[in-house]
Amino acid sequence: MITVDNLKKFGANTEEGIARCMGNEQFYLKLVATVPGQKAFDVLREKASAGDLDAAFEAAHALKGVLGNLSLTPLYEKVCEITELLRAKTDMDYTEILSEITALKEALQEICEQ
Amino acid sequence: MKRFRTISHFKKRVLIVDDEDINRQILGNMLGGTYEVDLACDGKEAWDKLNEDGSDYSLILADLLMPVMDGFELIEKVKADPVLKAVPVIVITSDKESEVKSIKLGAADFIKKPFGMPDVILARCERIIELYEDTTIIRSAEKDHVTGLYTRDLFFEYVRQIDVHQRELNMDCVVFNIDHFHLVNEMYGREAGDLILKKVADAITGAMEGHASLACRTEGDSFYLYCEHQDGYEALMDRITETVGSDQGPAKIRLRAGVYLDADRSMDPETMFDRAKLACDRIKGDYTVTVAYYNNELYQKAIYQEHLIENIDQSIEDEDFKVYFQPKYDITGDTPKLRSAEALIRWNHPELGMISPGDFIPLFESNGLIQKVDNFVWNKAAACIREWKNKYGYSVPVSVNVSRIDIFDSKLEEKLQNILKNNGITEKDLMLEITESAYSDNADSLTEVTNRLRESGFMIEMDDFGSGYSSLNMITTLPIDVLKLDMKFVRNMEKDEKSLKLVELIIGIAGFLNVPVVAEGVETESQLKKLKDMGCQVIQGYYFSRPVPASEFEEFIKKECV
Repeated sequence: MITVDNLKKFGANTEEGIARCMGNEQFYLKLVATVPGQKAFDVLREKASAGDLDAAFEAAHALKGVLGNLSLTPLYEKVCEITELLRAKTDMDYTEILSEITALKEALQEICEQ
Repeated sequence: MKRFRTISHFKKRVLIVDDEDINRQILGNMLGGTYEVDLACDGKEAWDKLNEDGSDYSLILADLLMPVMDGFELIEKVKADPVLKAVPVIVITSDKESEVKSIKLGAADFIKKPFGMPDVILARCERIIELYEDTTIIRSAEKDHVTGLYTRDLFFEYVRQIDVHQRELNMDCVVFNIDHFHLVNEMYGREAGDLILKKVADAITGAMEGHASLACRTEGDSFYLYCEHQDGYEALMDRITETVGSDQGPAKIRLRAGVYLDADRSMDPETMFDRAKLACDRIKGDYTVTVAYYNNELYQKAIYQEHLIENIDQSIEDEDFKVYFQPKYDITGDTPKLRSAEALIRWNHPELGMISPGDFIPLFESNGLIQKVDNFVWNKAAACIREWKNKYGYSVPVSVNVSRIDIFDSKLEEKLQNILKNNGITEKDLMLEITESAYSDNADSLTEVTNRLRESGFMIEMDDFGSGYSSLNMITTLPIDVLKLDMKFVRNMEKDEKSLKLVELIIGIAGFLNVPVVAEGVETESQLKKLKDMGCQVIQGYYFSRPVPASEFEEFIKKECV
């Protein structure tokens, strides 16, 4: 089961996230649980791999907002990184950073499914 | 004063537009305790909600990057809508560049992602709503809906601000007024009147283009203009009159202006504009000038008049007002015979000394205070008539002035009858003088009142005949008993052929009406002789006597009694 402690271990700034949810822990956890299922993760991976940087940027940007609001720090920081790379249309191999994001997402998913 | 945050039983509505459900939910949760929150997942859905019947959003919070319709497009549409543009939009963004762009598009504020703490976001939302509501209220209260100019209160508030922040400028105060504007409304309807007001306002604004200026409409047909100093206002006035005159429809209007140049800005704005108004009022009805300038003389005169107005009651109480009598002689026989007298008011002011009736009568006529003076004269004259009857057993009818305003007093007859009763005299003892100019103001009322007074037995004398806008119509409709020839004809009749002819003509008219003529202002024997030859029956003037106090007048009675 998803818990504040587990999220803390994941590296989330839960105090901040919960405060943003008006102190409502249950509400916060409920929202966090929906994150791994965000379609934008798939869109980001597909579009970035296929070289459609604009579409990949939109997905990254959307994720960034959500992750930031929930203070899921490690994932948020990685997504910020790729967002800036995509915004600048950096011509590079995105495989590694995408894998890192996927790994973090899966770690979060595990917490959510425990 | 503590302001209401919300009106307790109803919450303001807020629309949150974000394509990310998590963001919508977090924001909705933050604001839901204070506001009624609606959610939309893109600009299109938001636009539809905004256009639903009865939608009354106080605030829109919109994300920028959204599918279907993004935040920029939504802001553009909202700001282009005449009704919705009053709803503030707060942009949700994480990019620096977007902040500037959205503010330029008309966003009221922005909040960043990740969101700040709920207290901060709530406070920002509240502040923006309050600011927009205040602005809307101020905008609707600051503009005059007819002309689009400022309303008086806001105008003076801005003048005060200019006086505080821009003291180095020389400023002029101008008051414009439309002559007889109420007639335009009456004759052509309010709509036409409003149209003219709008045209005048537009002409003033147009003429002031390029100059630092501020204008408002007040008191219906007055316009106040506060502007950087100019040497004169004749040219400006010409431009305004030309613009208004070129397209004003059937109603022709005359605009006049009073100017207080280089206003003394240590005074409060209302006083500065009172000075311009004073100048403007001075040329009311004077068709030869359109611009008048305030000067100190004008101010002194206004102060002097104010002093007189303040003192009238006390002076009546203290009997500083005196009634003088000037005899009128019947010259039809071999020797002149005292026929009657005219009661005239004199004011011996305790501080100012003898005040010329020319100084206070027109003033009191203009503000209605003349009724007090008239009443005083009627009572005093009646008391004298009574006293002379008792003392000498002799009746001298005295004519008293009935001012225009008395004519419209529904209690006029009652007042006069009371005076007769209190003094035990009759209608034949107190004759009433009505000036012919009263006829041009309201012919019907004057005719009606005069008829009624004559039916009760009063004698009506038409004063100053020939001096004003004499109307031949008047002499056939207005019943009178005596015609009084204006003294300027008598004075000029020996110098000027035209005046002589007019005297003849008026005496002829009196003959036609079968009423006697009283000639006023007769000073010499030759004037008297000429008038007698022409058929004038009664003479009043220095030839017999100047106006004298009651005690001196008794001498004339005594002579008659011998």
